[in-house]
Amino acid sequence: MTDVHTPRESVAAGGEATESFGITGTGPDSTGTGGGTGASAGWLRWGWRQLTSMRTALVLLFLLALGSVPGSVLPQQGSDPAAVQQYFTSHPALAPWLNHLGLFNVFAAPWFAAIYLLLFTSLVGCVVPRTFRLAGSARTPPPRAPRNLSRLPQSASFSSGLAPAAAVDAAAAMLGGQRFRLRRPASGDSGHWVSAEKGYLREVGNLLFHLALLGVLVSIALGGLFGYKADKLLVEGQGFSDTMAALDEFHPGRLVSGSDLAPFSLTLDRFSASYITSGQSRGQPSDFDAHVTYTASPGAPSKTYDIRINDPLSVDSLKVYLIGHGYAPVFKVTDAHGNVDYDEATPFIPANTGTFMSDGVVKAPDASLGFMGVFVPTAVSVGGTLESVFPAADFPAVSLIGYSGNLGMNSVASQSVYQLDTNGLTKIAGSPRLMLPGQTWTLPGGRGSVTFVGVKQWVSLAITYDPGQVPALVCGILALGGLLLSFLVRRRRVFVRAAPAASGTGSVVTIGGLARTDASGSFEDEFAALAAELADSTGAARPPEADGSPGAAEQKREPKNQSEAGA
Amino acid sequence: MFIAKRRTVVTVAAVAAVLLAGALAVTLTQGSGQASGVTYVDGNNAQRVYTVGHRPLAPDFTASSLTGTRISLASYRGKAVVLNFWGSWCPPCRAEAPTLAVLAEQYRSQDVSFLGDDVGDTTANALAFTHDIGITYPSVNDANYSIVQEFSQVVPVGYTPTTVVIDPTGHIAGLVIGPVTYQGMTTILHDVAASR
Repeated sequence: MTDVHTPRESVAAGGEATESFGITGTGPDSTGTGGGTGASAGWLRWGWRQLTSMRTALVLLFLLALGSVPGSVLPQQGSDPAAVQQYFTSHPALAPWLNHLGLFNVFAAPWFAAIYLLLFTSLVGCVVPRTFRLAGSARTPPPRAPRNLSRLPQSASFSSGLAPAAAVDAAAAMLGGQRFRLRRPASGDSGHWVSAEKGYLREVGNLLFHLALLGVLVSIALGGLFGYKADKLLVEGQGFSDTMAALDEFHPGRLVSGSDLAPFSLTLDRFSASYITSGQSRGQPSDFDAHVTYTASPGAPSKTYDIRINDPLSVDSLKVYLIGHGYAPVFKVTDAHGNVDYDEATPFIPANTGTFMSDGVVKAPDASLGFMGVFVPTAVSVGGTLESVFPAADFPAVSLIGYSGNLGMNSVASQSVYQLDTNGLTKIAGSPRLMLPGQTWTLPGGRGSVTFVGVKQWVSLAITYDPGQVPALVCGILALGGLLLSFLVRRRRVFVRAAPAASGTGSVVTIGGLARTDASGSFEDEFAALAAELADSTGAARPPEADGSPGAAEQKREPKNQSEAGA
Repeated sequence: MFIAKRRTVVTVAAVAAVLLAGALAVTLTQGSGQASGVTYVDGNNAQRVYTVGHRPLAPDFTASSLTGTRISLASYRGKAVVLNFWGSWCPPCRAEAPTLAVLAEQYRSQDVSFLGDDVGDTTANALAFTHDIGITYPSVNDANYSIVQEFSQVVPVGYTPTTVVIDPTGHIAGLVIGPVTYQGMTTILHDVAASR
C-alpha cells in the first residue's frame, strides 16, 4: 500500500495543486525569451492561456446562448423557410440586413460556428491538461508527516506502553485496515511516523466529471456528423419510404449520404384533431392523433402507431414527430375533351392557425388549367365575404379563382407547388367561385370542369436521427455523478508520530489530522473517533488528550477549525 | 517553470493534432474524389458510366403499372433497360419526357427497353401526362417511393428525376441525376452496347 513515489511539491505542502484557470489580464512572460521568435512564442502561449481560461470558456458559453436567441425569435431557413419568405415580405427593409448577418440561418452561420469551435477548443484545451493533473493527483501518495503535529487543525497525544516503532506499526495496521493510503519513512528518514490519506474518490469523481464533459462534446459532434433531420408532408392515405428523393426537406450531417438513411416506410392511415367546442377556449385544440402503419425495413412486418404531440414514433433508432397539420381538399379536373387530367388531394397551407382558413393552388398542366383557392373548414358568409368560424371541418367550402393557359411546368426550372405564376394565364370568367363538397364548376368556353370531391387532412412529420443523443445523456449523468462524488467525498489526512517517552519505557504518540476540503466540518468527529481507536490499538496508558493549542494560522484551511480544534 | 511551459506546448500540439486529424477525416470521408470504376460523361458528374466489374446489381422489383398490369424488372433480363424515376408534378421530369419518348422509339430495335417509375403521384395525373407527351413505354406506380428506396441503397437516387441504365445482366451500367439530355443518354447507351 505504501507508495514509494516522491510526492509533488505542491501536494506535499498540503495545499491544492494550483489551477491554470483564471490566469487573465497578465501579458506573456517574456523573461528568459530572447529575440522575436521567443517573444512571439510568448504571445502565442499567452493567447492559448487566455483561450483555455475558465473566464473565456464562460464568456463563449454566454455568447453561444446569446447567439441562439435570434434563432428562436426569428424564423429559420432550416426549420421554416416559408416563414422566412413571409418575414421578407412583411419587413422588406430590415430582412436583407438580418439575412446578411446570417440571422435567418443562425445555427449554420459562420459566426455561430466560430463561437462553437472556439468554445470547443477552449474546453478541450482546459479539460485535457486538467484530466492529466487530476489523474496524477489521484495517484499521489500522502506527504511526509510534519514535524510538529500539534500545529495541525486537529491533534491529540497520549502515551503508550509500546516502543515507538511498535506503536507506529500498530497505528499503521489500524489505519491500513480502514483503507487509508499509507506512507512510511523511507530509508534514511529519521523518526517513527506514518502518514495516511483517504478520500481519493473525490479525485476520481473530479476526473469522471471532466472526462464526461469531453464525452458530451464528442456526442454533440457525433450528432452533427452522422445525424440528420428531415420533413415530410403526408395526406391521409399517402405513404412514403425514408429515402432522400421522398423527403420535402433534408438536412444531413457532414458524413451522411443517401444510402445511410434508415430504410423504414410509413403510411398515414388517418389523422384526427379534436377541438374544444364551448367556453372561453372554444376552437383551441385538445388532441391530435396521427394513426400510421409502418415497417422498419422492406419486408419487415408492418405495425401501427398513434403519433401525438410529444409522443413520437421511434423506429430503428430514429424518431418521427408530428409537427403540423392542415386540410387537403380533393379536386378532380377534366379537360375540354372530358378526360380526367387531375385527381388529387391538394395540401392547402393554413393562413390562420386559429380558424384554419387555408390557401393553396391546383395545377392541372395537362388540362392547361390552374386554380388559386381558399379553403374554409367551417364556412360562414360575413357580409358577402367567406370566413371560417371553427378549425374543424364542420361545414367545409372552397372558393376558387380559375386560370387557363400554359402553366410553364414543362421546363427544367423547379417551381413551388404552393404558388401559381399567373403571368401569361387568362382569368376564367365567373371567378371566384364558391363550392361545397360534391359540387362541379363547369368552366365557360368549353375549357373543362373542376369538382370539389371532398376533404382530407395532412400532417407534417419531422424525422430526426441523432446518434449523439444517448451518449450525451449517459455522459451527462456520469458528469453529474462525478460532480456529486467530488462534492460529497473529502480528502483527509492523518499523521501519527511516536517518540520515546521521557521515562524511558513506552512512547508518546501524537496524532495530527487535516481535512483538505472540509465543507461539512464533520472531520472533527471522525478524527476524535480515529484518535480513540489509535489509542486502543497502540495500547495507550491513558485516553488521548485533545491538544488545546490551535495550530499556526497559515496551516489552517478552515477558519472555524481554529476555535473548534481538538474539540 | 520549464516543465509548465513544456506541458503547455504538448497540450497545444495534442489539441492541434486532434483538430487536424478530425478535419482531415471529414475531408477524406467526404469522398470529393471520383470513385473507382466510375467515369463521368462529358466531365459532368451528374452523368455516370460504371465500368464492367464495378456495376452494382439492380434491385429486382415487381409492381403494378399505371394501367394495372404486373411488371417485374427480372423479366427484362437479356435486354438493356432505361429506368426513369419521374413524377407528373415535377417540372424537370416533364421537361425531359419528350427526349425520353424519342430515345425509346429510336432504341426499340436495339434491344433497349424503357421503363418509368412514377413517384409521389396519382395514376390519373400520371396517365394524363403520358398521354399528353406521347410516352408509350410503361411506368410502374411507386407512389410511396419504395422502389427508389431500394435503388438508393446501391446508387445515388436522391433526386427526381433520376435515370438508371441497367445492362442485360441486370447490373447498373449508367446513371443520370437530373433531367437527361439526348447526347448524354446516347453516349451512355453506346458505352453499354460496346461493353456487351
